Amino acid sequence: MKRTVEIVWGVLIVLTIFAYLLGKLHLASGFMVGVLLFTTFVKGQLVIDYFMGMKNVSLRYRLIPTIWLVVVISSIAVSYYL
Amino acid sequence: MAKSVTIKEPYPPGDFAIWLVIYVELITFGFMFLGYAFSRHADVALFNKSQLLLNQTSGFIDTLILITGSYFIVKAVNLVKNAKGEQIIKEANQKASKWIAASVLFGCLFLINKLLEFSDIFSQGISLGTNKFFMFYLLLTMFHFMHVTLGTIILFNIFRRTKASAYSAENTRGIETGAVYWHLVDVLWIVLFPLIYIIR
Repeated sequence: MKRTVEIVWGVLIVLTIFAYLLGKLHLASGFMVGVLLFTTFVKGQLVIDYFMGMKNVSLRYRLIPTIWLVVVISSIAVSYYL
Repeated sequence: MAKSVTIKEPYPPGDFAIWLVIYVELITFGFMFLGYAFSRHADVALFNKSQLLLNQTSGFIDTLILITGSYFIVKAVNLVKNAKGEQIIKEANQKASKWIAASVLFGCLFLINKLLEFSDIFSQGISLGTNKFFMFYLLLTMFHFMHVTLGTIILFNIFRRTKASAYSAENTRGIETGAVYWHLVDVLWIVLFPLIYIIR
């Protein structure tokens, strides 16, 4: 039986715990910010594809929220590492 | 060898009008996120010092609540999307109503948790005018709070419709429209949480 939604939910929870631990252990700086932002992109894309259901939608519509995510997260990275 | 081909849907799920709202929201929040990020760059020390007053655990719980609420909605949408035939439609709507009720409950839990967080912040004498960090923090989280409130109201209405067995494989537009709005709120928080609560 396909359990895609459960797996996606599990990955989102694990990545959220990872982000929280980075904060609690005072590791969310320097190189780890890049890692954290990458996991944030993965989380956002998982919600867009599997929860919003954009995975099976024509590319021109699927790309709009994805491009937003890429632009926002890479701009945050630029502002951090400038 | 047979090759499976997935036919792509021409349009996103839900009413197209909600997608116009979603695009506007993405642009608005996008500018606010970038405003925060570049303001932080201009005064890292102030932002790092102010951030210490935030409750990271509260932000973490908020994220878990939103993600899990989103999962409940996906389960409800999937149930009614496959419902054909009077009896199956009725059963699917009854099951979906339980998932939606759970997501409404999670929406309320988010709002309660956020109110407790705001109350803690205000009790420390912090306001919009305290400094630039708190101006962004309050503006972003309160603006997001308003979206969760609206999302919860929408979900409650969907709950009532499922109770009336309104959705079926041929009629999913209403539930999908509410669902994508909620997932938008989720995506926005997924970016907001590390940006404001975690990154130092």
